[in-house]
Amino acid sequence: MTARERRLDVSRLEPCEPLEQTLEAASALQAGEYLRVLHSREPFPLFPLLEQMGCGWHCRPGRDAPYEVLVWRRDDPLGKQAVARLVEAP
Amino acid sequence: MSYPGLALDQAPPIGAPFRFFLSAPLFGMLAALVLLWLGPPVLQSRWTPGVLAVTHLLTLGVLAMVMFGALLQMLPVVAGAPVARPRLVATAVHLPLAAGVLLLAYGFTEQHALALQVAAACLAVAVAVLAASALHSLARAPRRHAALNGMTLAVLALLVAAALGLWLLAGHGWSAVLLRRGVLTDLHAGWALFGWVGMLVVGVAFQVVPMFQMTPEYPAWAKRGLNLAIAGALLAWSGALVWPALAPLRIPTLVLLALVNAAFALVTLDLQRRRKRRLPDVTLDFWRLGMVCLLSVVLAWLVGLGVPGLRASPAWELLLGVLWLLGFVLSVLNGMLYKIVPFLVWFHLQNRLVHSGLMAAGIRVPNMKQVIPVAAARRQFRCHLLTVSLLVPTLIWPWPFLYPLALLQAVSFALLAHNLWNSMRLYRREQRRLDAASWPSAQPGG
Repeated sequence: MTARERRLDVSRLEPCEPLEQTLEAASALQAGEYLRVLHSREPFPLFPLLEQMGCGWHCRPGRDAPYEVLVWRRDDPLGKQAVARLVEAP
Repeated sequence: MSYPGLALDQAPPIGAPFRFFLSAPLFGMLAALVLLWLGPPVLQSRWTPGVLAVTHLLTLGVLAMVMFGALLQMLPVVAGAPVARPRLVATAVHLPLAAGVLLLAYGFTEQHALALQVAAACLAVAVAVLAASALHSLARAPRRHAALNGMTLAVLALLVAAALGLWLLAGHGWSAVLLRRGVLTDLHAGWALFGWVGMLVVGVAFQVVPMFQMTPEYPAWAKRGLNLAIAGALLAWSGALVWPALAPLRIPTLVLLALVNAAFALVTLDLQRRRKRRLPDVTLDFWRLGMVCLLSVVLAWLVGLGVPGLRASPAWELLLGVLWLLGFVLSVLNGMLYKIVPFLVWFHLQNRLVHSGLMAAGIRVPNMKQVIPVAAARRQFRCHLLTVSLLVPTLIWPWPFLYPLALLQAVSFALLAHNLWNSMRLYRREQRRLDAASWPSAQPGG
């Protein structure tokens, strides 16, 4: 069984909408899902908030936006494995 | 990319930057009152004690106050490198800065040596603590980019400007015999205005203009070259002032500084013209006013270069100074406060919301636009615009224009203070609401 990707493009939004929408989407993540957020910059203030919500994250340069943040629920091994595979892929 | 050092408990508590932001308008009001008290004769030249007092109330009390607070806040947000022990650092910078500015202004107006000596000690502590903390944090940033390089250069320029300022104060406060006081004063002002203030505004603009004003990114040549050109021109200009052999470089380096600043203003105005969202935005208006004033300073200086009679006039020197400080820098910082403060309030409330687990219960916090009402910010912008538009008439006809100018400046700072205090009150109110909502779940069995 593979995890399902939820995609969120906040790269054209004005602060604080990118953070608000990302946190909303992260709080709605179900088991077996991970989130791919397209962002115009590295959202440093987002990361500790995600950790407080019990989410893991990985930020990297993106293809469709300058950065993308991958978010998964820490209590969900499926989401975590899916992101790990994405990160390891060349 | 993961940043293991970044955690919420390392983000500065809201009071750390806020104490700087809330204090700044008070010094602005004090500067306006000093202007009213001293009256039109104060504008005879840039060397009168009153001008020195008002200038430092504005540069240190308002501009440095906001910039120090903003640095503490922005380092974790844009650099991912929080300042260590932010509460302690904020206190160790804010208190001596506030006391130092008050004593400096008093010492200048009353020619009081002891006040100037204590002011020198206080300001040295404030700058040293701020610079050490900021440079330590910048050195630990996970990656370098143009905004961080700009901040680093600006903090180094602050150290040079402060050292020169303390040297000059030795002449005022300890009656030390200073050789070439005029040259030292020019160097102090140059490193403070073009180096510390100018490079910080340019560096921060690379980050905040695209982010908050939804413009395209600054072009790569601007990010790479503008601040390096300013730093290089400042070094060469300093050499030209100090060593006679380099004296022929003085005017060319100043022309380079003027052109670099003009390029920054033009690129910024062009980016703002091409912004993706076309909604009215008061921060954008403040920035545009700032950029137009920056271009006016450059133009006025270039005109003065070709007209020696104008260059020798004390009013012309003052005009360049006030257009730079009040027209350019104050406009830009004032505009930024209307983004930084609402962001801070929203971020800390959001943090509390997440921490309390109330998000899942559907509870939300006010967004940035609700923290400071647009109408209130726009009212203050109009007042500031009126103040700036009175600068030129006041320097030509100090009587009677100084009085409405000083009054408008006082009102503008009072409105800014009102807006900032209201945002703090909203923060406290929302904080209580969240505490009340999370209370039952915190009870045993609740």
